[in-house]
This record gives sequence, C-alpha cells and structure tokens, in this order.
Amino acid sequence: MTNKKTRREGRVAKTSYYATLGPYSLWAMFFILVPLVFVAYYAFTDNNFNFTLEHIQRFFTATSQVIQSDGSSKEVYTYLVIFWRSLKLAVISTVVCLVLAYPLAYIMARAEPKVQKTFMTIIMIPMWMNFLIRTYAWMTILQDTGILNNFLTFFHLPGVHIIGTEAAVVIGMVYDYLPYMVLPLYSIMAKMDVKLIEAARDLGCNGFGVLRRVIWPLSLPGVINGVTMVLIPSVSTFYISQKLGDGKFFLIGDAIESQYVANNLHFAAAMAFILMVVLLVCMGVMQVLTARHVEGGK
Amino acid sequence: MKKIIELKNITKSFDGETPVLDNINLDIYDNEFLTLLGPSGCGKTTLLRLIGGFETPDSGDIIFLGDRINDVPPYKRNVNTVFQKYALFPHLNVFDNVAFPLREKKLPKEEIEEKVLEMLSLVALKGFEKRSVTRLSGGQQQRVAIARALVAHPKVLLLDEPLGALDLKLRKDMQVELKKIQKQTGITFIFVTHDQEEALSMSDTVVVMSEGKIHQVGTSVDIYNEPVNAFVADFIGESNILDGVMLEDYKVRFSGQTFQCLDKEFMKNEPVDVVVRPEDVDIVPVEQGQLTGVVTSVTFLGVHYEIIVDVNGFKWMIQTTDFVDVDERIGIELEPDAIHIMKKSEYSNLYGDYSSFSNELDELSEVEEEDEDE
Repeated sequence: MTNKKTRREGRVAKTSYYATLGPYSLWAMFFILVPLVFVAYYAFTDNNFNFTLEHIQRFFTATSQVIQSDGSSKEVYTYLVIFWRSLKLAVISTVVCLVLAYPLAYIMARAEPKVQKTFMTIIMIPMWMNFLIRTYAWMTILQDTGILNNFLTFFHLPGVHIIGTEAAVVIGMVYDYLPYMVLPLYSIMAKMDVKLIEAARDLGCNGFGVLRRVIWPLSLPGVINGVTMVLIPSVSTFYISQKLGDGKFFLIGDAIESQYVANNLHFAAAMAFILMVVLLVCMGVMQVLTARHVEGGK
Repeated sequence: MKKIIELKNITKSFDGETPVLDNINLDIYDNEFLTLLGPSGCGKTTLLRLIGGFETPDSGDIIFLGDRINDVPPYKRNVNTVFQKYALFPHLNVFDNVAFPLREKKLPKEEIEEKVLEMLSLVALKGFEKRSVTRLSGGQQQRVAIARALVAHPKVLLLDEPLGALDLKLRKDMQVELKKIQKQTGITFIFVTHDQEEALSMSDTVVVMSEGKIHQVGTSVDIYNEPVNAFVADFIGESNILDGVMLEDYKVRFSGQTFQCLDKEFMKNEPVDVVVRPEDVDIVPVEQGQLTGVVTSVTFLGVHYEIIVDVNGFKWMIQTTDFVDVDERIGIELEPDAIHIMKKSEYSNLYGDYSSFSNELDELSEVEEEDEDE
C-alpha cells in the first residue's frame, strides 16, 4: 500500500522537479559558468583581445631579484615563489584546522543534544562578525605591544614576536576557516553508527585501534569536504596576509588583487585561471585516492 | 560440565532508581546454547552487554573462567558479539570485515586468509569475499556478522536478537544453521530473543526473564511442561491458567470439579494456579465430559483448529484436529498429565482467560515490542 503510493508521488514529482531546476540552471549558467568563461577568455587574450599565451608564460617565467640574508641578491621566479608560498601556508592552515577540528567534531557528535547545540553556536558566532573586524582584532592581539604580549609581560614571561611572521598569517587563516572544517566533520560523525564503534571494541580494538580502523576511514568523506572548504579559500586569501603578515608575505591572492587594481585584468585572469586549474587537479587526485578507500573494495 | 561464566548478585540500574537487573545469579556452562528469553524491557539485552563488557554492573560480580572481569574492557574479553543490526563495517568488503579481528591480532597474512576462508565456508558465503557488505541481503549480512564474531574463536558468542530483522522463512533456516554452527564449533552461545518459539527450538538451556529478574532456568521441555509461575506459563506458549485448590497429593479441585494430577507436596487445601495447555485438552461427547462448555469461536490454523470454549464463564483455549462448530456444546476431559500445578505468585491474577483473545492484537503488540528495543 504505502509502497505504491510513494512510487506514484515520485513519478508526479519528476516533471515538477525539472521545472524547479530551471531557475537554478539559469542562475548557475549566468553567474558561474559565464564568468568562468570570461576568466579563461581574459587569461588567453591581450589588451586588444587577440589570442596570446603571453600572460600564462609570464606567470611561469617572470623573475625578480631578492636580497638574501647575507646581503647578496638572487634571481627567483617571482610568481612561482608567490604561488608556492600561498600553497604552503594554505596547506599548513588546513592541516592545523583538521587537527583542531577532528577531535572537536568527534566530541560534539557524541555529546548530549543540548551540548551539541551550544558547541555549534559557539563555533558559528565568529562567522557573524565581519571578516575585516576579525582580522583587525587579531592584529591587536598579536602585535608586539598587543594583548598577547601584555598578558605575557604581566606574568613576567618573555614576549613573543608573531605579527609579520608566517605564524601570524596561519593563525588568522585557521581562525577564519575553522568552522568550515568542523561542520562537515561533525555532520558525518553525528551520522556514524555507535554500534560500529562497539563492534570494533568487541573485535579487539583499543581506543586508538577504533579510531584508526573504523572512525577515520568512515569519516573520510567529511575530511575531504572540510579540506576542500578550507584549502581553497586559504590558497587564494589576500587580506589576512597583508594585515597579519605586515605585507611581507605576498600571496597569490595579493598578486591577483594588485594586478587587478593596476588595471592589468588579463594577467590577473591568467593567474586566477592557473590557480583554478591547480586546485581542480588537487581535488581530483584527492577524490580518486579516497574514493577507493571509502568504497571498501580493492 | 565446566562453568564458563558465573553471574553473582548482578544489579544494574541506569537512572539509579528502577533496577534494570535485580540480583541476577546465573551459571553458564561450556559448549552450551543458552537463551535469554523475555519481553522487551526485561533486561536481557543489558545482561548480554554486561557479559560483552559494554556495561558495568552496579554491584555483583561477573566471573569468567574463575576470574572476575567486571572492569575488563570489551577488547580484552574472550567474548564476541553478533549485534542486532549486524554492525558490519561499511567501508570494508566481506573478507576484510571477517578478517578485522585477526588483523588486530597481527596474524601472518596466510593464516588470516586461511581462517577467513574457513569461516566463510562455515557460513556458506564462499565466493563473496570481494563483495561490499552494503550490497548483501539481510540474511547474508547476518552470516558475515556471525563469521566475523567467530573467526577469532572466542570462548563465548553473544547474539543480540540476531534474527529479528529476517523474514519468517529465512529466520527458520538461520535457526537451524546457528544451532549447527554451535555444535560444530563447540563455542558457548548466549542468545537473546523475545520469541519463545525460537528459544524453545534452539536452546539447551532457556532463561526466562521479566522485569530484571530471572524466573526460571531449564531445558525447553522443563520450561514448557513445568513452568514455575503464571508469568512463565503465559509467556511460553498458550496456557489456560485457572484458580484451584490442592485437596491432597495428586488431587486438585478447579472449575467445580475434582481432578487427578501428578503433583504433590503442597499443603492441604492450598490455593494454587492450575495450568492446562490448549493441546492437552481432549474433546469428548457432552455426557462423558468432566467439564462441559459452549464453543464461542473456531479458527483454522492449518495444523489444527484453535477453539475458544466457554465453561461456566471461563473461556478455555483448546487446540484440536477435530472439527467442532460454533455454539456447539462439547465435553472436556483432562488426563492427569495434562494438568500442571503451580504455587500462587505475584503473577497469579494477571493472566485471565481467553475472553479478550485475538491473534491480530498479539501480532501488533509484538511489532511494537521490537521497536521499543531500539
């Protein structure tokens, strides 16, 4: 009885399903697909809109002189260095986010419903505040005469110099992007069957064994989602590095911004395009590597 | 026979007030198929979880081969569990699920392969090694769960209503198969169920529980033929439970008549509960009957008819292969061995006659029970 009913409802829904899909398809086309095509178009054309590989080439070949610590200067590939630095900081931030978020998500998922809600609110609250305000707040905290150092001095501890270092940039990124790591992990762990954990303990696993052999592999889809949602914005971040890095760590996001501000749209588009391709390839590789694991079959 | 598990004065409560288990004492022997039987909420699953190590008793001791194991974590106990909904690892295929406990023990690869394949052939799943467990039928998942729990050769296998999710036919097959596996492996099985038929057909020993207490421990035949109180008599099979008075040894009076019976050692004129199983009642012509009554309903059940007979206002259930008609007046005869006498207990007046009996209602309440167990 009930079976038949749901099946019939499902069929009726099919036409209206496509009807409701319509506006979203249009939206996706005009605001996602078309801009992407424009980015690619700008990336491969010069100021007169003739086809050229000049901008792509410039990204890979442009060089500049940097002064090393011993005073001698050295020639480096400008944009490759910037890109590598962006990637490095983004990966560090993502790993830190994962390490912080994973236990937190697990504790949240196993807590009482009321505690879960409280945790959730606490994690969301920073997201209600403006991104600029948050970054400025971190500046005040981390400055050499900032809150952190005042606090340390008060307890007669040696002060620390953080502002203007890579550590400061990582702290800023972790703070901003942590919720995007916690939420997907939490949602997948909340769905996990407690009986599976009991079964693993029953079959000889101690606490670490349960984590390694059951919880971690089952949470991988959440890990991938979280990593994607943190890695991508942190690779292309630009404001945090300017403020917390004292402008010393020019990142790919900053490079794109400065080219854009200098009205050099084609080169900005070329950099954005390369960044996009690299990220797509990274994500694709990660999906393939973990999909096999999640499927279970070898 | 060797005692493998001893439960001594086990008490457990989840809210600190109502006991889920109330002073449980039970010995479990080597190579035994023991069933914990009772309605939902009787504490049978909690008792199983105590033995598995997932709960600790508030007081009392769990003795495993002479050692107290109250605080030993599950992974150090030589006991494995087949969970109610199987709890197979969805990220592993059939082979890896079964190999799971062996890999934890870091056995050599060849040995793992050998043992897993041996187990899979025991549960008739050879050739399914590479299959994902999410693509198996309920019965096949059940077999994987059993193989996984048995592969490390535990001393005791705990089964928590493992057949509950299977349809009737498959359930019957698995009952036979489980029994066979138990005989083959010689491992003690502790089986939890609320299905009395399942319990009777599979077990060496049946433990009947309700409200956190053990009522009776015995073989299937003992439990069925010699129930200790009205609860057990009512829960196991169908029973006509009547108020009676024990006049003297071998002589009991109920329904206004005096009957010969096989029970003795009661006080003179002691009030008792009298149990008569529906299949032990003989239908005879009215003039030969010790009791007479009017048939009020007849249900054909294939093997036999189930009829309800009104004898002076008390409705008896009788199972017979002879056809009788509704409103027919019939005689009833009871052989001495059809009558079982029980001492009065707190359950004596809870189970009346069959005046409100309905098969349909019975099935409905059973489905609800299964949901409650979740």
